[in-house]
Formats: sequence, structure tokens, C-alpha cells
Amino acid sequence: MKHLKPINRKAEQLVRNESNPLPSEGEVVAMQTVVSCTSSTDPGWEIDMFGSVSGLCQPMESDLYGCSDPCWWPAQVPDIMNTHPDWSANAPSAAKDWRNLESVYPSEEGSS
Amino acid sequence: MRLFWLSGLLNKLSFRPRRLNTALSLLLGFCSLFVASMSSASGLPGGEYLLTVTRPGSTLNIIDVAADKLVKQCDLGIGPGSGTLVVSPDAKIAYVLGNYFSDVYGVELDSCDVIFSTRQSEGNIRVKSIGSLTLSPDGKTLYTHQNRVRLERDHYEVLDSTIAAFDTQAGLDTSAHKVFASPRQITILDRLESGELILGGQDVFLMNPDTGRYETILESLSLNDPAFAPRDVLTVWPLSSINNEFIRLFSTAKWGDEPGNLETADWLWGYESVDLATGEAKSTIFGPLEVALFSGARRPHHPNEMYGVLNFLKVFDIDSATELRSTPVDHSYYTLNFSKSGDKLYLLGADADVGVFDPDSLEQLGVIPLPGDGSLANSVVIER
Repeated sequence: MKHLKPINRKAEQLVRNESNPLPSEGEVVAMQTVVSCTSSTDPGWEIDMFGSVSGLCQPMESDLYGCSDPCWWPAQVPDIMNTHPDWSANAPSAAKDWRNLESVYPSEEGSS
Repeated sequence: MRLFWLSGLLNKLSFRPRRLNTALSLLLGFCSLFVASMSSASGLPGGEYLLTVTRPGSTLNIIDVAADKLVKQCDLGIGPGSGTLVVSPDAKIAYVLGNYFSDVYGVELDSCDVIFSTRQSEGNIRVKSIGSLTLSPDGKTLYTHQNRVRLERDHYEVLDSTIAAFDTQAGLDTSAHKVFASPRQITILDRLESGELILGGQDVFLMNPDTGRYETILESLSLNDPAFAPRDVLTVWPLSSINNEFIRLFSTAKWGDEPGNLETADWLWGYESVDLATGEAKSTIFGPLEVALFSGARRPHHPNEMYGVLNFLKVFDIDSATELRSTPVDHSYYTLNFSKSGDKLYLLGADADVGVFDPDSLEQLGVIPLPGDGSLANSVVIER
């Protein structure tokens, strides 16, 4: 590495940490949606325990924050727990204010 | 918008007789006093209260059980979390899991002052707790289950889960003074009167809080009973304050003519429970599975009556495993609670109100509106 010059930020980090190499593949462990919402694949809106929809929460808005807060719906809503904590700031009540819930987009910092 | 409306109203009234303006001033002054008493440092008189948390931040709502009215709110000044709460043995401090599932905050019910908070994450290790907190019987130690992840420069490393102990007298931004290795995927905690911790996850575990040694006291996911299908358990809401009993629902199927034949199976609801006084742990089938239920508990002073709720509120006779009463509810409620006497039933969590019901008839007695959204919050009924 001493003959190589880093030309971007990530390369600089690698040089600074070359004495602390990345760990090898570890044991696969069960996770609890704490890294990011995308680590979970629990669909919540499709069918209930009977293969129907009558057992789903009603109306859907009553279930929205109970599922989005703990990242239960990883694909459908932003990651409130980690990267988009302000997503619902303008919608205190999902039932009344759902029109204020908007899409999020990557920013330079990687969050909303 | 409301401020503009009020300003316009005052302008219109400015030419009215002085007596009217005086009356209006008195009315506005009264309203200000009322709001102040709702939101700040007024003490809480003796009585029975139901406590629950709403988002968008973490607001502790205190409801007078006798009047079924919201009488006080404490804004913790933090982001939302699960809203799971436990209350100190002297009923003076509520401990709330908030701030995006990151930390627990202790708020004095009389002053609304936040007098305690944890610091679970350290450096590049991020910690989240999923509805899992409990207090030692003397209230001096708070326990959480910690899901830990090391955030490296270009990858995350999932670390071992832990049970952490915090000194509740240590004030704000308190680090754990004791940490034990824990089973993974624990979502609720509780404790026996003797102090041992109950860990609710894939199975139910009992942990010695001094040594950290734990054992399985109820098999759930690991249960291998050939007569039944594997259990499905939703473990989010600690409900032990109702009957001094750790309790959570499970659904299963009892096989008929042959294992695995869904057509001839009996679909059943059951509950797993641990008596917090004696430590007795057991599983009980209480009725047929006909609709989804998210949580349930036995009615105080009526131990043979099991209540469950989601889109329907249902009551079951436990001994005969039959349904006694059922009614649809206005919207989904995740969880429930009772007055200490067992004469009133409260439905809450999800949406923004508490439904009040007569447990004998399942007639709805009223609705207590709350601000924001109840999300995943549980509730605790206290007497002072």
C-alpha cells in the first residue's frame, strides 16, 4: 500500500484502517430490523393469516405507524428508525394527515 | 390557520362593549390555565389513571379512569419509538422507550420532568430495543434488551444481543452498569416478583439478573409437538401490569386425521403465561381461531375470561375454550387494558383514541380522543 496514493475519500479510509482489516464472513445470525429497514422482508399489506384481507388492520392508516416505526414494511415506507426519522413529521395522525406523507429521495448525505 | 382565525375574531370584537371583552379575556385566561394544567407541571391528584404514549414525538397521556378523560400530558421532547412504558413501584415515574427505539426516558408524572435517560449506543455501535424494557421489583434497576450493530466504514457487523442494566437513580444519559449475553430476537421483557427477568422472544426465557444465566421456561418456536402445527406468536405488548401475569397470544392448529392436513385441523387460539408471583409458566388453549387477534389478557377478578382484540373484540371462556361474546370495533386496536376492578375495558394502540367498553356486554361506553397516533404503545393502569 505504501506505493499507492488514495485518490478519493473511501480509499483514504482504507489506508487509515489498513492495520484493521475487514473481518471475514461471519456466522449468519437472525436479525431484528435494526441495521436498516431493508434488512427485513415482512410484507404487511397483502394478505392476512387466512389468505384473505379482512384480517388486515382496518383502515390501513390505523396500522401505518405501528408498522412503519419498527420497519415492519421495509419496501413500502421509508426507514423512520434510522435514515428518514422526519418522514412523518408533518403527519401526526396517519388517519387525518396521510396526504402529507411523501416520497423520500437520496441526498448527498445519504438521508432525507 | 387557527391563530389567524382567533386574531380576526378579536379584531371583530374590539368595538364591542367593554364587558364582553372582559368576559372574553377571562374565557381565554381560563383556557390558557386549562392547557397549562394539561401539559406542564401540575401535580397528579390521587386516583386511578391509565397511561399510554402517542407520537409524533413521545407524549405521555394520563387518563382519569373514573371520568374516562385525558387529564394530563407530558411531552418528553424526543422522537417516537415503540412507546412501550413501565411504571415505578411507587407510581411516580413512567419509563418510556422512545427516540426511534434507541433509549428509555424516565418522566415524573407530577412534574413532567424527564429525570432519567439511557445511553445505549456508544461510538460506532448502534443499539435498538424493540419494546423490551422492565424494572426490578424495587424500581432501582431498569433492564433493556439490546440489538447491537457495529457501523463500519462500508459494512455493518451484527453483534451479539445483550441484556443491559441501568441504575434508575443515575440521572440523564446513563450508561449500563451491567451487561449479559442474551438470546436474539427478544421483543418484550418482564420480571418475577423475585427479580428474575422474563425474556419474550422465539421462546420464553428466565434470566438470573445477578449471573446472567438463563433457561427456557416456555417452548414456543422450539416446541415440537406432533399433535399441533408450529405456533405463531406476536410478542409486542407487555401486559403484565393487568394481572401480575406475563401473557402473550399464540395461534396453532391441532391436527385431525393426519399431521399436516389443513382441511381436518382445528384452528385454535392459546396464550403463554408466567405468573409473576410464583413463576409458574404454562400454555393454555382458550378458543377457536376465526379472526386475527393481536393481543389479549384475562379480565381482573374474572380469571376464566380471556379478551382479545384487533378488528374484533372477543371474549372467550377459557375452561370450555369457547367464545362468549364478540363485536366488531370502529378501527383496529392493537391492545387492551382494564380498570383495576375489571369493570371497564380499554382498547388502544393504532390510530389516535382509546375505546372504552363494558366487558360484560361489550357495549362501547365512549371514546377518548388522543393527539397524534398510538402506534405500538402499550398502557399501564396505576393507582395513587
